[in-house]
Amino acid sequence: MTKAKSPERNNEGFLENSSDWSPEIAAIIAAEDQIDLSEKHWEIIGLLREFYKKHEMSPPSNRLFVRSVKEALGEDKGNSIYLMRLFPGTPAKTACRIAGLPRPTNCL
Amino acid sequence: MGTLMVIDQPPYGTWAGREALDMAFSLAAFDQPVALLFTGAGVNWLRKSQETTGIGQKSVEKNLSAALIFGVEALYADATACARYGLVPDNMVTGVAMAENSAEVIRQHSHIAFAG
Amino acid sequence: MTEIDTLHILNKAPEHPRSAECLRAIEPGDVLLLIESAVLTLATCSDLQAGITIYALAPDVLARGIAHSTAEASLVDFAAMVELTVQAQKVISW
Repeated sequence: MTKAKSPERNNEGFLENSSDWSPEIAAIIAAEDQIDLSEKHWEIIGLLREFYKKHEMSPPSNRLFVRSVKEALGEDKGNSIYLMRLFPGTPAKTACRIAGLPRPTNCL
Repeated sequence: MGTLMVIDQPPYGTWAGREALDMAFSLAAFDQPVALLFTGAGVNWLRKSQETTGIGQKSVEKNLSAALIFGVEALYADATACARYGLVPDNMVTGVAMAENSAEVIRQHSHIAFAG
Repeated sequence: MTEIDTLHILNKAPEHPRSAECLRAIEPGDVLLLIESAVLTLATCSDLQAGITIYALAPDVLARGIAHSTAEASLVDFAAMVELTVQAQKVISW
């Protein structure tokens, strides 16, 4: 097996080059946060990547991340508890890092 | 009522408009009522089919399309400025309300801030 | 290769006072190059005077979504823009 060269990341673990992203890379980044990616995670990751393609930005804050998910998937998933359980820490930041997107601009 | 951010600067020339957009998004995030008014050269933010790969900037058209999702209440465009720049509903992004009298729109809000 | 006497490079939107000043200063035979926000001049109904050659920087035109309203101007890329400045005896950057 060839050893995949690990892509360049910034000091907060975000990919320097979004084209380096792949599902395998996502799993590696998630594992650093002790997250084992499930279908539920992939649903949100897919949504975020779609959002980025459409709007050329990551949702800039946690609240707007929650709102974007609510807009697309409804209240059951578009709430901060659900997203916090999937992506601990600052959910928007954790999820964007795993999805290979830029850091949300207004997250601490 | 609520806040009105007025963008009268053309897109891409400076960061002023993006900062105003960012502020509008932040207000919306905290459920503060906010709307955007585009006037003067600022109406060019609302034109469809902006292709920005050649200038290495993110498309304001695409950024702006997140506004209503984020809870920005309305996007207004000054009708006179649109006419000057050949903007009609057909070549504009969706969800824009034409303001025949933008002074009236300004009067309807309690806080008004200009970009830049 | 034709030589250009005076090349005016304008990067200001039509609302900017310097845009009007530039358009007033142009004389027949001059060349006008529109870049950045100045490409929006092509989307307005303002009549640019006859007898001047107009160029516009293609990436800036595309970014603003006005490629269809640039009949008055020839689109140039960055390399051609450099070429123009080299050909010009005098360059005025407005």
